[in-house]
Amino acid sequence: MKTLPPPCPEPESGRLYWRSLDQLARTPEFQQWLEREFPEGASEWQDPVSRRHFMRIMSASFLLAGLGLAGSGCRRPEERLMPFAQHPEGYVHGRPEYYATAMPTRTGALPLVVKAHEGRPIKIEGNDRYPDGNGGTDRWAQASILNLYDPDRARRITHQGQTVPRQEGLDFLTGLAGELENRRGRGLAILAEPGTSPSRARLRRELQARWPEAGWYEHDPLDLAVHRRAASLAFGRPVQPRFRFDRARVVVSLDCDFLGTEDDAFQHIRRFSQSRKLEKPEDTISRLYVLEALLTLTGAQADHRLRLPASQIGAAALVLARSCGVQGLPEVPTEGLWLAWLEECAKDLVAHRGRCLVVAGHRQPMAVHVLAHAMNHALGAVGETLELVPAEPASEDGLAPLAQALRQGQVDTLVILGANPVYTAPADLDWPEAQQKARLVVRLGYAEDETFPLCHWHFPLAHYLESWGDARTSDGAYLAVQPLIQPLFGGISELEFLARLQGRAVTSPYEIVRETFQAEVRPANFEEEWKHFLHDGFRGGPAASLGRLALQESAVRQAVALVTLPKPGPDRLEVIWHRDHSLDDGRYANNGWLQELPDPITKITWDNAVLMSWRTARDLGVKNSELVEITLGGRTVRGPAWVQPGMADYVLGLALGYGRERAGRVGRRVGFNGYALRPGGHPHFAVGATVKGTGRNYVLACTQDHWSLEGRPIIREANLEQFRKHPDFVKRLDLHPPPVVASLYPNPLDREKERALHQWGMSIDLNACVGCSACVIACQSENNIPIVGKDQVRRGREMHWMRIDRYYAGPPERQKDKSVWRREEHQWRESWIEQVQVVMQPMLCQHCEAAPCENVCPVNATVHDHEGLNVMVYNRCVGTRYCSNNCPYKVRRFNFFDYNKRPLDGLYKGPFARRPQEELDLVKLVKNPDVTVRMRGVMEKCTYCIQRIEQAKIARKVQARDSGAVEVPDGTFTTACAQACPAGAIVFGNVADPNSRVSRLKRQLRDYTVLEFLNIKPRTTYLARIRNPNPAMPDYYEMPLTLAEYTARSGDPFAAGHGGSGARGHATGAHAPAGGH
Amino acid sequence: MAEGVISMTPPPVPRELERPPLVLRQRSLGWISDHIAGIAEGKAPLWWWCAFVPSFLMFLLLIAMLAYQISTGVGVWGNHHPTMWGWDIINFVWWIGIGHAGTLISAILFLLRQRWRTAVNRAAEAMTIFAVMCAGIYPAVHVGRVWFDWYLFPIPNSNGIWPQFRSPLMWDVFAVSTYFTVSVLFWYMGLIPDLAVMRDRAKTRLRQIVYGLLALGWTGGNRQWTNYEKAYLILAGLSTPLVLSVHSIVSLDFAVSQLPGWHTTIFPPYFVAGAIFSGFGMVLTLLVPLRKLCHLEDIITMRHIDVMCKVTLATGSIVGYAYAMEFFIAWYSGSPYERFAFLNRALGPYWWGYWLMLICNVAVPQLFWFRSVRQNLWLVFVISILVNVGMWFERFVIIVISLHREFLPANWGYYMPTWVDVATFLGTFGLFFTMFLLFMRFLPMIAISEVKGVTPQADPHHPLGGAKPKGGGHG
Repeated sequence: MKTLPPPCPEPESGRLYWRSLDQLARTPEFQQWLEREFPEGASEWQDPVSRRHFMRIMSASFLLAGLGLAGSGCRRPEERLMPFAQHPEGYVHGRPEYYATAMPTRTGALPLVVKAHEGRPIKIEGNDRYPDGNGGTDRWAQASILNLYDPDRARRITHQGQTVPRQEGLDFLTGLAGELENRRGRGLAILAEPGTSPSRARLRRELQARWPEAGWYEHDPLDLAVHRRAASLAFGRPVQPRFRFDRARVVVSLDCDFLGTEDDAFQHIRRFSQSRKLEKPEDTISRLYVLEALLTLTGAQADHRLRLPASQIGAAALVLARSCGVQGLPEVPTEGLWLAWLEECAKDLVAHRGRCLVVAGHRQPMAVHVLAHAMNHALGAVGETLELVPAEPASEDGLAPLAQALRQGQVDTLVILGANPVYTAPADLDWPEAQQKARLVVRLGYAEDETFPLCHWHFPLAHYLESWGDARTSDGAYLAVQPLIQPLFGGISELEFLARLQGRAVTSPYEIVRETFQAEVRPANFEEEWKHFLHDGFRGGPAASLGRLALQESAVRQAVALVTLPKPGPDRLEVIWHRDHSLDDGRYANNGWLQELPDPITKITWDNAVLMSWRTARDLGVKNSELVEITLGGRTVRGPAWVQPGMADYVLGLALGYGRERAGRVGRRVGFNGYALRPGGHPHFAVGATVKGTGRNYVLACTQDHWSLEGRPIIREANLEQFRKHPDFVKRLDLHPPPVVASLYPNPLDREKERALHQWGMSIDLNACVGCSACVIACQSENNIPIVGKDQVRRGREMHWMRIDRYYAGPPERQKDKSVWRREEHQWRESWIEQVQVVMQPMLCQHCEAAPCENVCPVNATVHDHEGLNVMVYNRCVGTRYCSNNCPYKVRRFNFFDYNKRPLDGLYKGPFARRPQEELDLVKLVKNPDVTVRMRGVMEKCTYCIQRIEQAKIARKVQARDSGAVEVPDGTFTTACAQACPAGAIVFGNVADPNSRVSRLKRQLRDYTVLEFLNIKPRTTYLARIRNPNPAMPDYYEMPLTLAEYTARSGDPFAAGHGGSGARGHATGAHAPAGGH
Repeated sequence: MAEGVISMTPPPVPRELERPPLVLRQRSLGWISDHIAGIAEGKAPLWWWCAFVPSFLMFLLLIAMLAYQISTGVGVWGNHHPTMWGWDIINFVWWIGIGHAGTLISAILFLLRQRWRTAVNRAAEAMTIFAVMCAGIYPAVHVGRVWFDWYLFPIPNSNGIWPQFRSPLMWDVFAVSTYFTVSVLFWYMGLIPDLAVMRDRAKTRLRQIVYGLLALGWTGGNRQWTNYEKAYLILAGLSTPLVLSVHSIVSLDFAVSQLPGWHTTIFPPYFVAGAIFSGFGMVLTLLVPLRKLCHLEDIITMRHIDVMCKVTLATGSIVGYAYAMEFFIAWYSGSPYERFAFLNRALGPYWWGYWLMLICNVAVPQLFWFRSVRQNLWLVFVISILVNVGMWFERFVIIVISLHREFLPANWGYYMPTWVDVATFLGTFGLFFTMFLLFMRFLPMIAISEVKGVTPQADPHHPLGGAKPKGGGHG
């Protein structure tokens, strides 16, 4: 029945308004007109009964129709609408928001800016306002956003494995606090991961003041704080070393992978590559000597590299230190050491007094660290290239004392904050047994992992993007950790948990952080400065250097006495447990991006392997990728062997972090567990292992099978002297240019080029790139690139738009066997791989101006735009894959399956396998809404982050208004890879602007095009790598080995007349025969 | 017609110029009709069922495999990065190549007045059509999104997007579809008089109706014959360039790219020669046993076999020359990438594929220089199969070996097919043989009217020609 409007009360007094004279007169016609819904003449269904009847019939038929549709399965997808209940101030729908925050690590923190879209964080960037940085990050920071949306996170509070309501859990904490208060913390042990949060330190101090009998232990399986401990020991006060690779001219690394797996590698990479960048031949660059057992990223950058077992680094360091003039050192047996190498290295160090730096790796014992500091001290590096900044005292790994306390029954209540000791504890500690000695185990954990079943209470830990907090970088800068999203699954931050545990009145982490800010900074105007702190994400900058501190000679002598260790041999192998480049200590095992990120050296994904040298494998009779059993100290693990070029002999490299039993759906049982073999005393390497082959083959998914460049000038490099003598050397490596003939079809881009404001291009400096792979993950995060799983990677179907090609080069005279004609498996049996040089090349779509992919696509799915981008139209692509076949760089990636829709183990089941809806919903949140999620059957590739280009152009247009200045100024935006690169090796910009950074780089002498002879004019060009070897060294090569390989096959590039366009081709305009075109 | 005494003594012909007749044993015209039409009539022999049932099961396998591939994704095949094309395109080119013999025999040999073609042209044309059907499946379903295949056709649409006319795949669409259409028309044209024979002989109502409809009211009148001959000639003229164009265009799929090993100007003639080579190989493979099983020795004579062996030998030698020339040009180009690509064929990880190809395609057919080999049906049968094995490996060499190792060594890989690849390929054989067996059960597999035209007695100058033998019935 029609609802009549409520009668409008007539005003009792005052003016009377009327709409018409009819109203004034209150005629019946007017009354009717008011009540009628439709004007005169329109028919109206006045009968209420009929109307209801109609509705009833209609709803019945709609119901039936709905049933029919539902029954046939033809329905619109369910969509849930989540509108803002309260509209946030200043929020513009569709425009991303950026917040400064920081990612805490065990020894420091990374200052970050995180992009959030509609309230969900989707992309992590480095904070480029931070005074000591360039906006670069590392792979872990880039990938940590995926951990936020991990469907296997701990999502509930459990007691004895049963879910309990949140309030009950919190009440339990309150009760526990009361109980502990009564006994002044006796029997309480807290096991935490090392951290740098000032608030946590403050809460810890509060706790220890209130409950002096409570124990606080910190556990880091990798013990990355050894740098701080060593520096503190050597210089007699708590200091943190800051390695200024940017100032050093000569760097010696003693098994220190400072570019790869040391903490703060992104800072080291930035500083190191700063010292390696050069513009003109006259510029000087630094020189890097590396002594190491494994082949690491740092070793890949070395100008001289000495392969030594980790146990012999100490002896070599001693020789080096004596040659550098460090006094009072013991004699050392020099057997097996390459003395000439060490002496020349020492001479070079001495020659660069004050501008050299010796660094020791975290796997090395304290003695080596102290020796390094002694050398730095003797060489005048302290205060120059080695800056010491005041720091909190670092703790040692406290798991062993805690286990002892547990066994002795001193611990009644064990509280674990974050750590996963059941998985990461050394094997001989028998930690699970020790943990069960505690009456009550309460844990705050990120996942229901290996430690979970042995806990009585388990609380979900909040991600750092969900929680308020603070942190310090390793060199003392104070950073804010700001949440971007409410905890997705009710996670509790460490600060809140600690506060509740000690029954604090204020448990809100926000308030705790503010209290700390007040205490640390003592600001004059609190609110104002607090806002600044949050806005910038940091306060102040890194701590100032303490200058030239004096060395504690006695401490050095004491530490160094224990430096010599037994040598490994074929029947007593040395095992090195190393931090995994992707999974860290195992904490990222459930992160698909990191699992699928190829190790930058081995290029293995989804697995770890027993790395060994060619000679070791030969002597042990082990084939590559054969399953082997390693036995050490009565314990045995089984893993696939991997013959790694450039490794020290009789050394086995075991990456930690794999073989997890309870890691979640991605990381469960990936690889083998190296912890199961790890002794407590010498957790980083041990001599005395034996290896037995099982004869069984194990399939490893490696993304790059072929090692050698085969003498092709794809990566061009020269020694510094050669570059000085032949500044045009890159051009000399060009193939004969094709004859210049008029094109049959004029390229429409040539016309557009003159009109368009922007022409996008990229320059990649191979001298700066160290291969850290932060760009690969950044690209994956920015562009919604799916993971495909081990089986698909094995088939060569990984989807990375950007990859890092890694090649090994050996002395050509040793590569006589024409191994290239055999299958790749033969590489492992070749002797030249013993000593190799490594080169890296980031490879992504080159955006050719005359792109070969475009004219072969039958459906116009890949086309060129007027700004020089090779654009991929997913909607139009039918998937003939011809474009990929015709791409000489093979940078196009094909969706062989519905990688987004299907579970990784159900790809072959087609429509019969679907990911659970809640998993899909969660994974959806991490997607960048500006980038299409591709379906199966579609080709995809790097777009130069076209979404960022368009956003920058639109922003510029909005800003320009009527002025017409719509050209995007250089440096206002960049691609995801360039932004993430800590080395600044990737520069993107407008090549139409001659003053842009990229244009200036492309004018450098080192600029070259890969496969230039195809005449496809790529927009991405590379700057050749320059090595800086020391001619006095015994392993000096006159030319880089890749260049030597080229020379062996194609002739001396520096001989007169060589090269296509160098001296001869262009000058005379001679038409050389078209090569390969 | 004048009744008279016919001299039974043949005019003297020098022995060395004497050709064996195209139909042996002076078979009468009636015998020819009865015998050929008889294959398509009556109960199917046991061997037919023995061949048909497995073929049909394999055809069902094809359907299952295609359904699996389309519903799940191209990933079920072995294609990967960098070998984005694998068995799909190998098999496409292979089947298309096989499809070349039929039209060559029916069109080019017709224009060249090669009278021996009549005994084999019908079956060869049918083989062509079925081979092109098998081939056509691959490009249609090998794409990632089959349901958007229509993007390849120039259909006007509201977005104003046309196909990319510079893409050889686009040309393929036109070339293959035109070839298929013209081949079917040509084949059907040739069938009309024989369909009328089938109609006239039909004993059941259904057959009468179906053949009657298909025969288009053919009565064999003079005017009909005149029109028929003209139309046949025109279609032969139209088909002739198609024989050369289809495989030339298929070869451009490779030649237009810039991949070492693909980027070669020799490809069009070399592909056409290879296609005819493989087509004749397949015709021999089919007809040598069929000749025996259907008792067609008098119609498909040893002379026919001999001639086809010679064509195989000639085209095989052309193919061998092309292989040698590819190597020469790779060396002569001076490009290290080209040189590498070709050395990698012969010495690389797939060396066995290359040498198998050389043995099957170049070495083995040289045996056909010997008459004794050409006369030995067992040898001919085995060699014809080896020819097709070799031609399959030729496409494997071109596609897989070129792609698996090209410019950047970081991209090098090793391609392996999956069981789905293998089963799909087997399935296409199922389709091919199912169609062929059905064809021979329902249609005259030899052009009855044409064969009658080449019987010795059809020649007016032949002692038996120009007149009916005494007491003989109608032909």
